[in-house]
Amino acid sequence: MDNLIMLAFSAFIIENIILTQFLGICPFLGVSTKRSSALGMGMAVIFVMLISSSVTWLLYKYVLEAFSIEYMRTIVFILVIASLVQMVETFLKKVSPPLYKALGIYLPLITTNCAVLGVAILNISKEHNFLEMLVYTTFIGLGFLFVMYIFSMLREKLDFAPVPKAFKGAPIALVIAAILAIIFSRFGGII
Amino acid sequence: MEGVTKMNKGLISGLVLLALGIVCGLLLSVVNYFTAPKIKEVEDAIKYEALAEFYTLADYDLSEVEGTGDFGTIFILKAKGTETIEALVYTVSAQGYSGANQKIQMLIAVNADLSVEGYKVVSHAESTGFGADIVNNDFGVSEIDDLSGFDSVAGVTETSNGIKTCFNLVGQRIAADLGGGLSE
Amino acid sequence: MSNKENFFKGIIKENPLFVSLLGMCPSLAVTTSLENAIGMTLGVFFVLVLSNFIISLIMSNKKLAELVKPVRIPVYIVVIATLVTIVEMVMHAYLPSLFFSLGVFIPLIVVNCIILGRAEAFASENKPVDSVIDGVGMALGYGLAIMLISIFREFLGKGTLTVWGDFQINLTFIFDFLKIEPIAMFVQPVGAFLTFGLILAAITAIANNHKNKLAKKVANNG
Repeated sequence: MDNLIMLAFSAFIIENIILTQFLGICPFLGVSTKRSSALGMGMAVIFVMLISSSVTWLLYKYVLEAFSIEYMRTIVFILVIASLVQMVETFLKKVSPPLYKALGIYLPLITTNCAVLGVAILNISKEHNFLEMLVYTTFIGLGFLFVMYIFSMLREKLDFAPVPKAFKGAPIALVIAAILAIIFSRFGGII
Repeated sequence: MEGVTKMNKGLISGLVLLALGIVCGLLLSVVNYFTAPKIKEVEDAIKYEALAEFYTLADYDLSEVEGTGDFGTIFILKAKGTETIEALVYTVSAQGYSGANQKIQMLIAVNADLSVEGYKVVSHAESTGFGADIVNNDFGVSEIDDLSGFDSVAGVTETSNGIKTCFNLVGQRIAADLGGGLSE
Repeated sequence: MSNKENFFKGIIKENPLFVSLLGMCPSLAVTTSLENAIGMTLGVFFVLVLSNFIISLIMSNKKLAELVKPVRIPVYIVVIATLVTIVEMVMHAYLPSLFFSLGVFIPLIVVNCIILGRAEAFASENKPVDSVIDGVGMALGYGLAIMLISIFREFLGKGTLTVWGDFQINLTFIFDFLKIEPIAMFVQPVGAFLTFGLILAAITAIANNHKNKLAKKVANNG
């Protein structure tokens, strides 16, 4: 049990997907300008991550390994993710058009989100069992949401700050991310 | 009529995608055929890296089993092309000094004639100064069933007890394992 | 567009990393050493050039293009993923140390926005030869960008420049001369964000300066 707690804590903070593993940077910089979009994107990513990691884990174990075609992993995984995002899009369009509109172009972009494919592959390379995979994926997703949300709060304030012209936009965001990264890296000594 | 054409178009597009998938899959299986043996070599080299300190790996057929309890991976070295076990390398751990959760882990390589080919302390959590030297110490063990040389060399009691226990654990099972007791 | 323009746009004007901000994830993770950056560039080069070529070939055939259009994104993905898997397998077999340093970022080349982006934006609408040139330019632009970042990070963080395997340029004497230690933070996540941010700011400043000079020139002549 405390093995799982350690796993969760490490996935959330110590091996934080954005600030330590560098996955999901594109939405991190692109979608984090407003709190509401950060929240929406974060939740969508958690949802897609959980389902895609579960499906890919099962496929790897029971199909790819069974037929010794592990090398098909990349193709199969990315196709699963692309189809899933497509299904989520269609589903959202029908069930909640305002949410669909709010997420806009960011929804299809979840397909190319390194974090989603990255987590699917990490679960395999770390040889997690099904339960470990669920815990790890959930807390990676929550860590993603957490950092995105904090960052969006900082960026909202940044809009009112006198930023030098050359730094406006991505550069200053990256510098702030650097400071966040220092803070998160200090958590590594806790365990 | 139009609905059918649309469905046909969609079906054909789907078939094109499937055909592409199959072509790519075949292409990859060809590449895999060529790279797989080399990849196995690379992976084996890493897995058996520790063994390379004791033996020339190319001279043997290598395999391994997972031990239980105090034993981790047990590497089996057989004479090439035969089922005769030439040597066994054990990953074994035992209680050291500092606390119940910290164990000393060792690699112990024993030949078929019970002579000890070599050993190495892989990890330990002893405080520096006490047990820090144990990683590089020679414990004077050359026969697995004769640990008399051990006590005269080792200095600190608790730590070296852990190491002695490792040797003892191996000594207790070596005969059975060499006789074919290891299930692969 | 002339071939020269086509090629050079990928390096300066439309540099995929510094201008379009694509492919950021590997550029932060992989730039801890020059060798890793060079390795990643090779992988991206192989995939981008070939995928541009193949996709352009497919879409140049009018009949095939019609059939593929409704499923074109999955088709691109399958092509790109196949190429990436080839890179993975070859690297694992013949360049194992590079394979283990780059880790999960090799399969992640498949979601590198640059490759899918160029496929959709350029290769699907241009001739194969032009697409290849575009691919080469973009890949080189990306490569030069990440090599630049990694030169800064590795030099400031470790004092060395590892070009390939044992071929390493040891510049620690500069640190010894200045009586300071290499600044380790540069090879950690902090340094990644910081270096990238500062380089981006510098480029923006240079570009703005250039724009202002050009504007002044036009104003003076007008």
